[in-house]
Amino acid sequence: MTRWVMVVDLRRCVGCQTCTAACKHANATPPGVQWRRVLDMEFGEYPDVQRAFVPVGCQHCDEPPCLDVCPTTATKKRTDGIVTIDYDLCIGCSYCAVACPYQARYKTLRPTFAYGKATASEAIRQDDNQLAVATKCTFCVERIDAGLEAGLQPGVDPEATPACANSCIANAITFGDIDDSQSNVSALLRENRHFRMHESLGTGPGFYYLWDREGGP
Amino acid sequence: MSYGPNPRQQASWDWRAAANFIGGGSGSGLVVFAAFADVRGGAGQLLLAAGLTLIALGLLCVWLEIGRPWRALNVFSNWRRSWMSREAIVGVLLFAAGAMVAADVMASWWVVALLAFVFAYCQARILRAAKGIPAWREPWLTPYLLVTAVTEGAGLFWLCASQYRAATLPLLAALGVFVVVRLMAWLAYRRHLRGAAPVALAALDGVGRLLQLWGTAIPLALVVIAMSGVVVGPVMFTIAAVAGLCAVVAGAWTKWTLITQAGFNQGFALAHLPVRGVRPAGY
Amino acid sequence: MTMATHTMRRVPTYCYQCVAGPDLLTVKVVDGVATEVEPNFCAADVHPGGGKVCVKAYGLVQKTYNPNRVLSPMKRTNPAKGRNEEPGFVAITWDEALDLIGTRLNEVRANGLTDASGYPRVAASFGGGGTPQSYMGTLPAFLAAWGPVDMGFGSGQGVKCYHSEHLYGEFWHRAFIVAPDTPLCNYLISLGANVEASGGVAGIRRHAEARVRGMKRVQVEPHLSVTGACSAQWVPIKPKTDAAFLFALMHVLLHEVPRVRLDVPFLTRHTASPYLVGPHGYYLRDRATRKPLVWDARTTAAQVHDAADIEEALCGSHEVDAIEIGPDGDVLGDGLLRGQTGFDRLVVHMEAYSPEWAAAICDVPAATIRAIANEFIDHACVGETIDIDGTQMPFRPVAITLGKTVNNGWGGYECCWARTMLAALVGGLEVPGGTIGTTVRLTKPMSQRLASVTPGPDGFMSYPLNPTSRELWSAQAKIRNAYNTMVPLAGNGPWSQALGPSHFSWMFLDATPPGLPRVTLPDVWFVYRTNPAISFWDTQAVGEKMARFPFVVAFAYTRDETNHFADVLLPDATDLESLQLIHIGGTKYVEQFWEHEGYALRQPVVKTRGEARDFTDIATALAQRTGLLPQYNAAINKGAGGVPLKGRYGDFSLDVTHAHARDAIWDAVCRAASADLTEGAQAHGLDWWKEHGLATKRFPRADWYLLPTLVARGLRFELPYQERLQRIGTELGRRLHEHEMHWWDAQLDEYQALPKWKNFPALWEATVIATGGRADDYPFWLLTSRSMQYAWGGNVGIQLMREVADNIAGHRGVIMNSQAAGRLGIEDGDLIELATPQRTVRGRAVLRHGIRPDTLLCLGQFDHWVTPLAKDFGVPSLNTLATMSIALTDATGSGADIVRVKIERVAP
Repeated sequence: MTRWVMVVDLRRCVGCQTCTAACKHANATPPGVQWRRVLDMEFGEYPDVQRAFVPVGCQHCDEPPCLDVCPTTATKKRTDGIVTIDYDLCIGCSYCAVACPYQARYKTLRPTFAYGKATASEAIRQDDNQLAVATKCTFCVERIDAGLEAGLQPGVDPEATPACANSCIANAITFGDIDDSQSNVSALLRENRHFRMHESLGTGPGFYYLWDREGGP
Repeated sequence: MSYGPNPRQQASWDWRAAANFIGGGSGSGLVVFAAFADVRGGAGQLLLAAGLTLIALGLLCVWLEIGRPWRALNVFSNWRRSWMSREAIVGVLLFAAGAMVAADVMASWWVVALLAFVFAYCQARILRAAKGIPAWREPWLTPYLLVTAVTEGAGLFWLCASQYRAATLPLLAALGVFVVVRLMAWLAYRRHLRGAAPVALAALDGVGRLLQLWGTAIPLALVVIAMSGVVVGPVMFTIAAVAGLCAVVAGAWTKWTLITQAGFNQGFALAHLPVRGVRPAGY
Repeated sequence: MTMATHTMRRVPTYCYQCVAGPDLLTVKVVDGVATEVEPNFCAADVHPGGGKVCVKAYGLVQKTYNPNRVLSPMKRTNPAKGRNEEPGFVAITWDEALDLIGTRLNEVRANGLTDASGYPRVAASFGGGGTPQSYMGTLPAFLAAWGPVDMGFGSGQGVKCYHSEHLYGEFWHRAFIVAPDTPLCNYLISLGANVEASGGVAGIRRHAEARVRGMKRVQVEPHLSVTGACSAQWVPIKPKTDAAFLFALMHVLLHEVPRVRLDVPFLTRHTASPYLVGPHGYYLRDRATRKPLVWDARTTAAQVHDAADIEEALCGSHEVDAIEIGPDGDVLGDGLLRGQTGFDRLVVHMEAYSPEWAAAICDVPAATIRAIANEFIDHACVGETIDIDGTQMPFRPVAITLGKTVNNGWGGYECCWARTMLAALVGGLEVPGGTIGTTVRLTKPMSQRLASVTPGPDGFMSYPLNPTSRELWSAQAKIRNAYNTMVPLAGNGPWSQALGPSHFSWMFLDATPPGLPRVTLPDVWFVYRTNPAISFWDTQAVGEKMARFPFVVAFAYTRDETNHFADVLLPDATDLESLQLIHIGGTKYVEQFWEHEGYALRQPVVKTRGEARDFTDIATALAQRTGLLPQYNAAINKGAGGVPLKGRYGDFSLDVTHAHARDAIWDAVCRAASADLTEGAQAHGLDWWKEHGLATKRFPRADWYLLPTLVARGLRFELPYQERLQRIGTELGRRLHEHEMHWWDAQLDEYQALPKWKNFPALWEATVIATGGRADDYPFWLLTSRSMQYAWGGNVGIQLMREVADNIAGHRGVIMNSQAAGRLGIEDGDLIELATPQRTVRGRAVLRHGIRPDTLLCLGQFDHWVTPLAKDFGVPSLNTLATMSIALTDATGSGADIVRVKIERVAP
């Protein structure tokens, strides 16, 4: 089996938002919609303060709350773990948005552009099917599928890898198959301590955060 | 719009969604209570119609909120998993049964009442399944929503009870009992609620105080006065109606607050902070 | 959209929007429209950032299609200029625009290239760090053909850069920029250096790897920047006290750590530590050769520093027969003179600067300072070596970096000296793992670091100091900021103008201080990729002065606060529309350490929008209209396009007599570059480069480090004792006083052989009083910090940048400490007013715990009032409040981004 996951190394991330911008390019999301974004979090009180940059987005959960609540079956989970939305079925009820503990879902009611009217670049990429329905990170599923079809390996070959992972200048974001013990993500998870966001909710996110190396002094 | 890591009020559902929970809860509660009160005939049909109308208005509000209203029929598709699909299906059955009762095609009020109760239950489970919102996903919200539905139904019943004969003192006593039980359910919900944002908790506590006074103490006092025999006739009915109104408005207010002010998501939290370079001293 | 019905291609190009570049990318083009920016994975093996580009490059698509662009030449119709005067720009043709400019320029040529004050009549301001050169095509050839141009009207460069580091860094170790050898470094003390925001793709990549590898970085800074966030430890130091902190580290190493733990051989052989310093503070010299003397332990006698087979004594005081020569060749002593080694002088000098002393100044516990000093030495691996490219080199995996406001303005000299000395004490200067330089800009050959290591006086490297001798010093400044007159260290090369006190050009327009020729308005001012009305200090005053400029030509992307005062707007083709070949690789700027070097092409990814025109075509047209075409073409042939067209491996020169089309010019440059790269084996033309985007060859990693070259040339680092600086400072003072110029006296104090701590924060407190306030009424330090999403990019008008930058705290207002805000009744999001005695600015409070309670922070440079989109941000800027003054200018001509302010909540 294959289970695609994202592994984010919190030690590496500097909050530059390159992944955010790359995602917006790859997916032509309208202003304000960030399928991938990086949080700026602060902990503690002066002078004992720490700050962390945390990439978030759809966690492609094992037990996606969005899947349970979607009344239309627009939200589906593939056997490889990727949670998808069928824009033709979605009625835009936003139930999935309130069900998602990761604030991953967006709904844009009307065409929205950076400067009011569509620029040439926006016009060529405008997709009315994505209006007034739920949208979210797809793990760049089209790239994965096309890449696999072309014999490429997602997470290794850029053509078959999600744009955020491709773009990350700190090598903080890695994509791969957790069911393959030899994969890049499996190695990272073996060698490093990690957690998942809001693990107690039982959603089983496909998004792992590395925070320290395993073992050693 | 960029949001930070802290919990924020969800912006996906607004007053229209709140209206669905208010109309759906009180409407279905009214149908249940009317059945329980054994109101039949013209008054019964009036109450039934009023209850179904409230439910319908709530659903209309939701329809106005969804992004693709002309695809609304897709809502029925996921009855296996989604409480929203189930709400829709039960709603259809409820309206069908109600229409049959109203048209005297079917005699059993209890079927309608049962469907209304299930409808209210579906609504309660809709919120519970919203895992992103701590104040909604708390299981103890379900009994509260069911109890307040029936309580609001009782309140609506007594709001216009002077118009029908079935309004008996035991039913008035029932209103008194329901407001008390509802408060207990609320307190239990509040006691069990974990993980909600401070602002959300403040909003809930604010509406909780309102529920205690205007939704419980005052209607209970009014019920006691009305039942005491000190007042009779129109005055008694007026007092009972005020008690009912208080019970309805307070219940509606809690749902309004839940959706529009206490609907804070969980925000983000890290189980561990990253170790940059070297582990801190005392690690 | 289905790709089957569309044509799609990926076009390689480069991004050099900020000084941390260049980086390489590809642009996806669908049906002739740019849609996506992606990394150039074909360059992954040669680019130190894996062929990736940072967030700013993703703004280039919107930059291209921004509807707010100026898309045709325009001329001003309202002759009145001012912030509140609507310019009344109307569209004109290119011919009209070029005629207007050409007429002006020809008038200038007719009147003489310099004015009555001796200043160039034509001035030009370009954005910082030289990055506009990677976008201005052959404009440098036009400027070279033109003659004298005043490039000293500051827009940020010269005073707000790493100024002291540029000058002293290049002076001491050919380090115009100083960096840690991050891939090998294990312990890094970073004082305000914001590498995670300013290090670019390569810097972020290298530091991320280092963190995961286990490098400990200690961030010493008043606020918890993104770099502080990603560090192992944050030390919230009081602003502008970094020199005291560094002095205390030196104290620990010199007075608390056993001497054997220092790199004594390094100090002895590779620095001037053993040079004997005479009673008047100048080196004792051999009477015949005038070479500095050292004490030879082998012969127990004084020897010249470069005598063969000597064993220099690091410590000691000896009476020797010598001559002591001071400024202007004055003989201060001759005969039997007592000399103390420079190192001993250093040890005595640092004795008072204990951690306990520094703690009171820096507001950092002495124990913390001492612990950091000890960790530094613990990690230094003194005595160890490492194999680099087959050569054994010293391995010293400790480094210190300095950031803005630490390495510029008052205190910059002290910090730069202490940092360099700390590296030297452990032998960690210019060796693997240690503190190293990246590039040179003042010494020649420019950009060729190792080749620039040529012998200078006294066994040190040469340095092109501006003269201070009675014979050669001149009060006649070459340009308005008087760099050659006032700042010996600025040198006199192409970059020197921008490294002068570039605020003087603005300040002296109102009142030129005694001794300098009266500062005049330039007849013509060109502006490109810069917005000094926003990016400089006291922006309101700068704007008022711009309004007096008689003729301003602005290459305009959109309307902005500077071109608001322009007479002509010229729309140049932007990043994805124009053509240029640049050099890449080697070692460059902040953290661009490549193991390859070569060239990369920026090419038209899409058709140029509107009437925008490629810069090369504009430059050619200007050359034609001014009758300078032969000189212009000759300049291109000489290398103004980045590569000399005639070299060892071929002659691709252009015929100088007639104008060449853009593609013809760059085709020749491409062929020359290709030949240079392959030693003549190939001469690929433009088409090849368009397809491939880049070509490189190996750059040896051993060339990252200066020490081997220094040793090979028999030279030493000019440390610790600054005899030469002391001498030129005294000489400069004499020259100035001879010309009744006493307004630079405070700056002359900086020329100290061993720098002392001075109360630097008090200078800014004094400014409050000087401008009419009471110091106690202005209790906050206002600082700024780099926004990676915006820095250098000129991209505030790009919606995508605004959107993603907002994810990082501080982009919507003024960061202040939560507890301090609580005491003032200020809540997150409240509108607050920041004020100096002279200016005020408003913005929203952003409450955070990661900042000192006495400090406020304005990220980036905002407060726009014309630039579309940005003018609606409502985000304040330090620049609005910062003043320009001689009192706040250090001896290198630099100031710092720091202001004393008061704040209050504005009633809603």
